[in-house]
Amino acid sequence: MDRAEVGALVQSAVDGDAAAWKALVEGLSPLVWSVVRAHRLSDADGHEVYQTVWFRFAQHLGRIREPDKAGSWLASTARNECLKVIRGLTRLLPTDDPQVLDRISEDRTPEQSLIDAEDQADEARRIRMLWQEFEELGDRCRQLLRVLMASPPPSYVEVSAALGIAVGSIGPLRQRCLRRLRARLDARGAV
Amino acid sequence: MSDDDFPPDDGLDATAEGADGFDADLLEQELRGAAAVLDPLPAELLQLAMDAYVLHDLEARVAELTFDSLVDAIPVRGVEDPPRMLTFQAGALTVDVEVTGDGLLGQLLPPQTARIEVLGGPAAARPLTVDGMGRFASDTPPTGPFALRLRTGRDVIVTEWLRA
Repeated sequence: MDRAEVGALVQSAVDGDAAAWKALVEGLSPLVWSVVRAHRLSDADGHEVYQTVWFRFAQHLGRIREPDKAGSWLASTARNECLKVIRGLTRLLPTDDPQVLDRISEDRTPEQSLIDAEDQADEARRIRMLWQEFEELGDRCRQLLRVLMASPPPSYVEVSAALGIAVGSIGPLRQRCLRRLRARLDARGAV
Repeated sequence: MSDDDFPPDDGLDATAEGADGFDADLLEQELRGAAAVLDPLPAELLQLAMDAYVLHDLEARVAELTFDSLVDAIPVRGVEDPPRMLTFQAGALTVDVEVTGDGLLGQLLPPQTARIEVLGGPAAARPLTVDGMGRFASDTPPTGPFALRLRTGRDVIVTEWLRA
């Protein structure tokens, strides 16, 4: 999300505009979710961290010093809460297995459905292979890429707040991590 | 160097597309698509964040967390499951809270009476018993995110949201 836009939405939300709050949540909750997932908490802990971050953001809404940096505020709050969980915890568990893709049902001829189903199965296999290789990257690469893949994509300032990495090193590290992932995929013969 | 570290600089970082035709942007985009399918934000969490707007309360003062034993305390050897000690501050008012598996204990300083509720989310509030000295207790430990809402005379104060 564009910083000027975020700043304006925060101001409107402070003034009581519920639609502005909705737009902030829609634009920035994928970032918060990505930060939580990047830290590999259990589902229960991750969900609680996510809620804590948004409750605190709502609470601090009118007091945030730099409204245009609300994305960074959310990202660093999420990071701190994740680190607290990890520090306080023996409850740390690996994330669940990726869920099975939902079937899409549409009005199609049986032949077309069969072709579609095969295409979809190929696509699903490809996505799962990509995800598997991503999950097996080293922790630091996995974390960085998990935050970067939020949609809409976060700014490097937000990524920096989310992971405590200097802004200037994010570009080169991203490049190396993606290259490493590509190499793993190539080694598996993925397209 | 372990696999946990970032991989070494291979000297090809300067451009988005290296000499070998590697397209980092494309791969990142594919990951973004995969995440949307395999690790999406749960709909109920999106809704909870939407609903959190009601927690925006300009009338209330925020008592900031100034001490959290999870972060600030030196671990005591031999203590298996130490209580979580929290201190919040709003101006001259201090709120000390201790959270254990058995419940929640606390004290307002300077001692004063108040009405106190435990908030558990946008819609959940549970009153606590408070004595004349500002000591309060609950035999239900908070689960998940919580905050305390205090009413002292004319003031409304809410502690920073925390995960118990």
